[in-house]
Amino acid sequence: MNVSLSSKVLHWCKTLIHSRRFSKSWMGKSLSMIQLMELDACTHCAMCTSHCSVAIAFEGIPNINILPSEKVGSIKALASGSPLTEQEIRELQEGVYLCTNCYRCTVVCPVGINLQNLWIKVRELLLHRGVPELSVLSPLSYYRGLMKGETVAGDYEEPLTQAREAISAQCGLMKKKDEVLHLIPVDEKFKGGLDLSAQAKNFSVCFGCQTCTTVCPVVGHYENPQEVLGLLPHQIMHAAGLGLRDLALGSNMLWDCLTCYQCQEQCPRGVSVTDVLYELKNLAVRYTKEKR
Amino acid sequence: MMKFALFLGCQIPIRLKQYETSSRLVSERLGLELIDIEEFNCCGYPLRNIDFKTFLLASARNLALAETKKLNVMTLCQCCYGALKKADFLLKENLSLRKEVNAVLQQEGIPYEGKIEVKHLLSVLDQEVGVEAIRKRIEKPFQGLKIAAHYGCHALRPSQIVRVDDPGNPSIFERLVNVTGAESIDWLMRLECCGAPLLGSHDELSTEMTLKKLNNGRESGANYLCTACTYCQIQFDTVQQMILSQQGSNSPLPSLLYPQLLGLSMGISPEPLGLKMNKIPIREIGS
Repeated sequence: MNVSLSSKVLHWCKTLIHSRRFSKSWMGKSLSMIQLMELDACTHCAMCTSHCSVAIAFEGIPNINILPSEKVGSIKALASGSPLTEQEIRELQEGVYLCTNCYRCTVVCPVGINLQNLWIKVRELLLHRGVPELSVLSPLSYYRGLMKGETVAGDYEEPLTQAREAISAQCGLMKKKDEVLHLIPVDEKFKGGLDLSAQAKNFSVCFGCQTCTTVCPVVGHYENPQEVLGLLPHQIMHAAGLGLRDLALGSNMLWDCLTCYQCQEQCPRGVSVTDVLYELKNLAVRYTKEKR
Repeated sequence: MMKFALFLGCQIPIRLKQYETSSRLVSERLGLELIDIEEFNCCGYPLRNIDFKTFLLASARNLALAETKKLNVMTLCQCCYGALKKADFLLKENLSLRKEVNAVLQQEGIPYEGKIEVKHLLSVLDQEVGVEAIRKRIEKPFQGLKIAAHYGCHALRPSQIVRVDDPGNPSIFERLVNVTGAESIDWLMRLECCGAPLLGSHDELSTEMTLKKLNNGRESGANYLCTACTYCQIQFDTVQQMILSQQGSNSPLPSLLYPQLLGLSMGISPEPLGLKMNKIPIREIGS
């Protein structure tokens, strides 16, 4: 009994000393000693990845850091001072955000690493580097919202503002209110790209009755909705129909959509308004990522 | 015995365990057999803002897993329901999309053929079990209890896809509330969104939506709000408590999950229904 206890203590001390090599890097300095020891304890058995709720997303978004076992590897590299390229750090940032916070990884880890807490910690550290993470504008942020004031250090709003700004920076026309719009030639690349979901191609039958905008609870919430939201749903449908990329993608309305489907349900022309908004969000994310 | 694969999603096991336990308890009494599929992953809902194909893939994998076991799926969360229904609709209708998705699922040997159905707890109870069968199981009907049934968006819309009830004038939830002996009240905002989808990305807007509904429910005379969705319940319970503690206000409209309400009326005690796990206490009926 005593032997096993003392060997445990010895092993613990060794790990502690070993983990101190992490203390020189900025990532290492920001993690707790227990988290550094946990990084060392990971055997890369990939049990976490095999139970991860979003591991399947790797098949659609080819970023290896979506997989928890690989995230640990990248965090370990950062903590031990290995220089990751800017691109690799951004991929880690996206990887730690594409997570539903389901805790399955932590529950199944045979070594007992609290992986979920590690993701939360690293997520905040990376977000506050100032590189916009567009995934914050999705329901993946729900947990961050619930944990506001508990696990979120630093400016809670900053990453959200940065993501919106990064997208609107790609939509210059939105800021030039007096600009004469040129409808010819039509932006075929943009218009043609609007059929990802096979459900959102019907915006061009919109006849501008504004029912979508009238029934939208978000529009109805504001005294002067255009000031806050930019273009309103019927205007966005119109912009998409005309192939005006900047106007279709550059409004806060896209990110303030509750996806309650009131607009789509009540459209007399059968336009899949909510699905089109979803589609435009996907395109905005794609364009902004490409521009980096 | 009716059999379903139970789809819990990511939030229930860690943040709303009482939805699972209460649903299992009432299902058992009503002769529903719920099968667990451990390999289920995220329904895809939170990924839809970012990348459609990734959403579809995540959703489709769940459908395929249930299909290999020849089981229809029952969800508790309406956002999971909306996502799985959407994916199921597209994969049944659009063969080229199905082919593309199956090229990935084939790596695991589970292509989706579109042979199963996705149902939500409410429609299983109303259509498969039936209100009359439920009525026979009510042992302790409520008296004088006023409930505001909160539908949740994705049970109703888009109606072409989710097909639970008439999207403009639904009655399924009121029917299920009334069978417990409680009185479902009429309230103006019953079909509106709870605000949850924007929590974390636009908190102010999200919580104002939540408060509007709560105020409307209270003004309409409800003793409690009743939900049948993970996000709606977290929003009306956990988030309502957060808002109230910030405002220093102490007049909540507590919310309980439908299987908790049903379970109590069936004579199941509050403890196993997880009533104590609700953040805002359910005092009068839960003790």
